[in-house]
Amino acid sequence: MKILRTLLATAALMFAATAFLSAADVKVIANNSVTSNSISAGDLKDVFLLDKDSIGGSHVEPVLQNAGATHEAFLKAYLGKPNSVLQAFYRSLVFTGKASMPKVTAADAEAVAYVAKTKGAIGYVSSGASTEGVKTLEVK
Amino acid sequence: MRLVIGRYMAAAAVAVLSLSAPVHAQYKFNLDGRQIQVHSFASQGFAYSNDNSYLTMNTSKGSFNFDDLGVNLSTQITDKFRVGAQGYTRRLGELSRGQVTLDWAVADYRLKPWLGFRGGKVKTALGLYNDLQDVDSLFTWALLPQSMYPIDLRGSTIAHYGGDLYGRVRLGKYGKADYTAYGGVLPSDPHQGYMYALRTIFHFNTAYVGPIAGGDLKWTTPLKGFLAGASFMEQHPKGSGKTVAGPFGPPASFTQDTKKRQISQFYVQYLVKGLHIDGEYHRDYRDEAITQPGTAADIQWNARSWYLSGAYRINHLLEVGSYYSHFTPDQNVDTSLPGNHIYDKVVTARFDLKSYWTVKAEGHFIDGYGAIDSARGFYDSFPGPLSGTAGFKPQTNMLMVRTGFSF
Repeated sequence: MKILRTLLATAALMFAATAFLSAADVKVIANNSVTSNSISAGDLKDVFLLDKDSIGGSHVEPVLQNAGATHEAFLKAYLGKPNSVLQAFYRSLVFTGKASMPKVTAADAEAVAYVAKTKGAIGYVSSGASTEGVKTLEVK
Repeated sequence: MRLVIGRYMAAAAVAVLSLSAPVHAQYKFNLDGRQIQVHSFASQGFAYSNDNSYLTMNTSKGSFNFDDLGVNLSTQITDKFRVGAQGYTRRLGELSRGQVTLDWAVADYRLKPWLGFRGGKVKTALGLYNDLQDVDSLFTWALLPQSMYPIDLRGSTIAHYGGDLYGRVRLGKYGKADYTAYGGVLPSDPHQGYMYALRTIFHFNTAYVGPIAGGDLKWTTPLKGFLAGASFMEQHPKGSGKTVAGPFGPPASFTQDTKKRQISQFYVQYLVKGLHIDGEYHRDYRDEAITQPGTAADIQWNARSWYLSGAYRINHLLEVGSYYSHFTPDQNVDTSLPGNHIYDKVVTARFDLKSYWTVKAEGHFIDGYGAIDSARGFYDSFPGPLSGTAGFKPQTNMLMVRTGFSF
């Protein structure tokens, strides 16, 4: 019984942590080749929905995290789609020859490392993550 | 390219992929310094019906003769230029027996968001699901509404050799519009249901191909989650062969020339939270000249199809839904006859066991069986020309279970 209570409490905490994360808990990062220092919420959504491939004259490409609270918070705050719907959207393009699947990384450190070395990459990390080697974009 | 594969090869390939795959895996490798992405999907179905067998499977005894597999490779050559290709194989009763086909192979240059070009063998934009119909993870149903997306006639609309002009135009506060305009040649599909339906009368010895052109306009409205669109297609396939010996006499050569086939399709979709509603209406007009030595006939068909579907996602594991699918092969004939309609009421439960693995259980309650050349599930099982559809009962109940993977 004690184990069950512990498991339930842990699950509740994890759910709460995900549910209450918001845009303020996510930083949008970009490779230093991206000339802009800010991006509109609409453009950010378009980049991740593969509608837009340049910002301020710079080529850009989205970088997603595979799961986790930061990923969920980003989807909720900026894309307005749950992960399952987003993945189905990407698959609908990939299996009809209309686009390639965006890069997916694991947690913050891998996202920062990939964005730092990839021209035009735009990703997101938790607000407390180190962003050395990349720029942080203000989302307007 | 045709290669007959073994019965469970698709399932085995998927098993291998799934055993070696982290959940979020992207299969990729480098070739000459360029990254190649590899993606795949596969499904296996089971169907069990009462008296009438469906889709040329022996469903009245239960049949697993329904599976498919697609694998694609693609790479980005430059920021704006991409190439890729997909192979596809399926088994579907007597219609397809594991022949591997080139599903699509495209070179795509996207100059601007509002202007792009793609050429090669291209999936055809028609309605909400024509180009997506093979990937079962992308829709709720085990079988899409067969009035609109007949799995046995897939080859007659699925792709074209040629080119597309496409793009997305922003309409400010009025939303955005996606357009596609295309032209080219309809690929040959000797395994489609139309050829099978006519097998007791005509035997084609040439490909049944011809020019095709059309377009699609999709409006994402300012109302969140609501889109509407329209598609148009015109095609002129032509083929020739010999009639089969029978009541019409000894075998004789014939030519079937589609003077005009026009498809118009209108659709709406509403997605909000877990609710998903689709509706489509489709008009298919054909005017064909059939010529034999000394005789000529001009035949018109005026088919109508529509469906309305609703699905609701209860949680990340379960989605439930239902649709009503309505097909009449020829509006100019009494549509109350079971030989001139197929009405299908469907209920479905979809289980998303993993992000890449779905299982669907679906009940079909079908009224009617359509005309001899409808090629929508019901095929005359009696040999000999024009034996009719007397062997069918007017009602068909069927359980279909389908599991699918996509990576």
